[in-house]
Amino acid sequence: MLPITRREMLARVGTGLGTLGLATVLADGGLLAAERQTTSENPLAARPSHFRPRARRLIHLFMNGGPSQVDTFDPKPALEKYNGQKAPTELRTERKTGNLLMSPFKFAKHGRSGLDVSDLFPHLAKCADELCVIRSMHTNIPNHEPALLMMTSGETQPTRPSMGSWLLYGLGTDNQNLPGFVVLCPGKPVVGPQLWGNSFLPGIYQGTHINNGRIDPKNVIANVSNGQLGRAAQREQMDLLKELNEIHLARRPGDNPLEARIQSLEMAYRMQFEAQEVFDLGRETKATRELYGTGPFADACLLARRMVERGVRVVQVFTGDGQPWDDHGDIKAHADKARTVDRPAAALLADLKARGLLEDTLVLWGGEFGRTPTSEGAKGRDHNNHGFSVWLAGGGVKGGLAYGATDDVGFAAVEKKVHVHDLHATILHLMGLDHEKLTYRYGGRDFRLTDVSGTVVRDIIA
Amino acid sequence: MRYAFLLVACAVALLVAPSLRAADPDTKGVEFFESKVRPVLVEQCYKCHSAQTGKARGNLTLDTRAALLKGGDTGPAVVPGNPEKSLLIAAVRHDGDLKMPPKTKLPDAVVKDLRRWVEMGAPDPRDRAPAAVSNIDWTKARGFWSFRPVRKPALPSVKDASWPKSDTDRFILARLEAEGLHPVAAADRRTLLRRATFDLTGLPPTPDEIDTFLHDDSPDAFAKVVDRLLKSPQYGERWARHWLDVARYAEDQAHTFAVKPNTEAFRYRDWVIDALNADMPYDLFVKRQIAADLMEGNEPDGYKQRAALGFFGLGAQYYKNSDAARAAADELDDRIDTLGRGFLGLTVSCARCHDHKFDPIPTQDYYSLAGVFYSCKLADLPMVPKAEADRYADAKKPVLEADRKLKELEKAEKSKATTEGKERIKGLKAELEKLKKSAPPPLPMAHALADATATDLHVYVRGNPAQQGDLAPRRFLRVLSGAEPPRFTKGSGRLELAEAIASKDNPLTARVLVNRVWAWHFGRGLVGTPSNFGQLGERPTHPELLDDLAARFVENGWSLKWLHREVLLSATYQQSSEANVKSQAADPDNRLLGRMNRRRLEVEAWRDSLLAVSGQLDRSFGGPTVDLNAGQNRRRTVYCKVSRHELNGLLRLFDFPDANITSERRTETTVPQQQLFVLNSPFFVGQAKALAARVGAEERDDTARVRRAYLLAYGRPATDAELLLALRYLGGKDDPSERNGLTRWERYAQALLAMNEFLYVD
Repeated sequence: MLPITRREMLARVGTGLGTLGLATVLADGGLLAAERQTTSENPLAARPSHFRPRARRLIHLFMNGGPSQVDTFDPKPALEKYNGQKAPTELRTERKTGNLLMSPFKFAKHGRSGLDVSDLFPHLAKCADELCVIRSMHTNIPNHEPALLMMTSGETQPTRPSMGSWLLYGLGTDNQNLPGFVVLCPGKPVVGPQLWGNSFLPGIYQGTHINNGRIDPKNVIANVSNGQLGRAAQREQMDLLKELNEIHLARRPGDNPLEARIQSLEMAYRMQFEAQEVFDLGRETKATRELYGTGPFADACLLARRMVERGVRVVQVFTGDGQPWDDHGDIKAHADKARTVDRPAAALLADLKARGLLEDTLVLWGGEFGRTPTSEGAKGRDHNNHGFSVWLAGGGVKGGLAYGATDDVGFAAVEKKVHVHDLHATILHLMGLDHEKLTYRYGGRDFRLTDVSGTVVRDIIA
Repeated sequence: MRYAFLLVACAVALLVAPSLRAADPDTKGVEFFESKVRPVLVEQCYKCHSAQTGKARGNLTLDTRAALLKGGDTGPAVVPGNPEKSLLIAAVRHDGDLKMPPKTKLPDAVVKDLRRWVEMGAPDPRDRAPAAVSNIDWTKARGFWSFRPVRKPALPSVKDASWPKSDTDRFILARLEAEGLHPVAAADRRTLLRRATFDLTGLPPTPDEIDTFLHDDSPDAFAKVVDRLLKSPQYGERWARHWLDVARYAEDQAHTFAVKPNTEAFRYRDWVIDALNADMPYDLFVKRQIAADLMEGNEPDGYKQRAALGFFGLGAQYYKNSDAARAAADELDDRIDTLGRGFLGLTVSCARCHDHKFDPIPTQDYYSLAGVFYSCKLADLPMVPKAEADRYADAKKPVLEADRKLKELEKAEKSKATTEGKERIKGLKAELEKLKKSAPPPLPMAHALADATATDLHVYVRGNPAQQGDLAPRRFLRVLSGAEPPRFTKGSGRLELAEAIASKDNPLTARVLVNRVWAWHFGRGLVGTPSNFGQLGERPTHPELLDDLAARFVENGWSLKWLHREVLLSATYQQSSEANVKSQAADPDNRLLGRMNRRRLEVEAWRDSLLAVSGQLDRSFGGPTVDLNAGQNRRRTVYCKVSRHELNGLLRLFDFPDANITSERRTETTVPQQQLFVLNSPFFVGQAKALAARVGAEERDDTARVRRAYLLAYGRPATDAELLLALRYLGGKDDPSERNGLTRWERYAQALLAMNEFLYVD
């Protein structure tokens, strides 16, 4: 028996391999649990994970541009003490920076856990006991493009599938009337579509980008609404089409792809109504709307909740167009971004929790890298790949935890270092997938999200 | 059996590496060294202590075990088994006078690993002869099926001598008969014409073409059809797209920072279309894509072929801000991967960081090829004769001169800012504009490659350009050319590389191409992995047929049109796609080809056919690219923009491959979002309206109109049941309270175009 890949399986479904034959092949092949059970024609159908998942859905709040760790979740008293002095070690970042620059923001301990949060995030501070801050993140390159790609796809060049695509490929999605991987960004982040691209995975695993600068439920998904026909007329037309297709199928009995497309047409018909419903924020109560606040990021967080509630597997929310957190000029400008993000993100955690969704929804907050504790110009900070912070919440992680550490001034991760690959391995693990077994054969190699690296950070798992 | 298969493959890898096992029983120790120690030495220490970087601070190098034992000025760096006496361990602990690395202490875990390694006796495989060369048993490696020379096999005997129409059929029938199976009946004439027309041109047959074929009783009626289709320019448009998937053709880059747009990328696309229409011999087709600029000496109008170099000239350019060396290495990898898998069906790229784990490709061979591309640069070459290019350059001189003057003046005036200076700048600007207007229009340019300084690379150890190992002279792969392949000596070596690939003695090139063409005709290759003919690729279902076709393909002057005829005129191709119960059960995925595969149209053919049937298709040929979504874009899809940064949504939705990487075949997925396009998109609704208007104008009553629509869309008469259904629908009444923007005829036309029968070809 030759190796059968999921890709090949998909290709064959299209060329007439019977379902029975396929099931037998996969079962005999001793493939992944996630693949073995796949007898359905639908490559997006929900599939069991490798082992019991702690999280069934992922919401990634992407702080594109790179927030500064020493101004958010990683307090460094030494920076105040040595403000304006030369850094003890000079690490290479994108450009040469000046002397140490203390944070203009004040830190305090919050919650029962006493987690440090700066005054940039008064609302999130109230959720301190939910947050699992990883202070020892590091990545490879201090430029936006490669670092964004690394965070979203585990590789600095645009040649690999995104994490959302991998999760969709591994797990499918629970609601067939909605896309399984949705990306919300008003405008577009730097790099753009490659950040949610499918690369060598089949195109259906690509993220669906929704420009939520202004949400029109009729247009968020391409062609989701019929501008021509009333519901009765369209149903009558669908019935005609179905009859015509069945005449065609009767002469070609047992052809799975033909049957699959007939079903798919009916699913599309239903999707028109369900997909519009999910994007209609007018259906939320006033109290909920107030909890999240206003603006595209607030709307995106609320949409994220509506979507995961309805079975969407992965939602990625970008702070905004371009690279908002990229405060080279004046780090105080972080306050504007924090204002955008703080209330909605905290509302999302509270809302998920109130609905019992937080326990199996994993929320990830963070940028593509951090910023230097040294100054750029007088008041800004440069990119920093050597150390930065992200936080996780919900889906199986320990709340109220600060894991790992950077050096005394917050330049480089030194204790319990967590590379982006390790973060990816951990996220897959929490979603019930073994990052070494979630593979896809392409070009003679079994590729993984974590390439040849990645260690699950077990100490942060509850 | 995937894991079992991998185990077998691993076992094979071990078998071909007997020296490794015999010389080193302590594989565990070596593994430890490779995973925990070598990376640390390479990344943290070699910068100052390596023969390769030429630095030996304190007279210490760490490249070999011997050097570690010998140590530097202060004594042995390592005493195997005794970490307390090993200076290396003392240094990395950072608790004495000696602190290494000097600026930062290594993480505790790393220090612990180094200590453990010394305790283990410091196992170190680096003193062995270069593993790459000694571990491969070349004789054995060349015995693998795809590396063996192509041999024309004897024709097999068959029981049913009446069925075969060609040699190809005898191979197919012999396999079927051996399994106790028999081919299904031949397809009817309408089905066959429809299949062949879609297959060769990506468009449906017209009612006139159908009529002509149905009334041609001559024995070579179908052969005439095939010839007509191969002669039509639509053939090149259709088949170029297949090749462009392999060539990962696109007009931009994935990222948008500081990239010069390839505004004339279309010249490569048009070159491929023209080459196919002209039936350019495939060996020449290959050679020109690698080295057209170096072949012009023999060709009077060689400049026309420069566009062929778009195969590489339009390749990936990555973002090079911080780690430029790595990005440049990634670009070389894009060239090698596309070359290796595209032309040779070999995953050469797997040998970038280590010897290929399954195929006989040492890392050194990878860098031998990488050296060829390292010795080239991206260049825009004018597609005109030299004399014309010179004339153009002369005519442009005043413009350049004025531009230079202006820049100089602007620079000088920047600090002074005098009124007089401002006036002069203004004058010069006006003059420049005038000159630009009278200058000749820009020459057509090919985004191409040109030779730069010829340089051999050293192996990048573990793929790291900062860590260089053995020299890798520019030459061809050893498995395909003998133990010591001759070095490339002419410039970059591109032409020699092209000749080595496009050689009739190369066992892969013809096999790989024949298999690709077979896969594009049948939906599946004789080898199921068209870009991987290595260990992890599939084995051919019909190895003799593959060799027979490859041998005759070369004998027939590497002619693709010969190959198409050979395939289309076979009884195998002309079978019905309706399975019989026995063959369906015995061979469910039709590996033995006892029937034809029903095929789904690719997005290009599907969109083009919608336009053709509605009467809206713009058949104009070649030229600059157009955005697929641009207003009234009715051109064939092959002429639409292909983006690496943001692929058009329709293309992506219908399984068009990601042009950042070479693609060996289209996946086929069926999801509701595709059907939303069918139900609701302005494009699809537009075609429905146009079809309704077309048949409305062409016929006088609904019955005739329905019949006409079936003939246009499906090349067959409507059945009575279908006609009845249509008339009933067309005569239906709408709820007057609903506002509907489409007439019943338009809605009916939309349903007709939305049918499975439109998307799938029997």
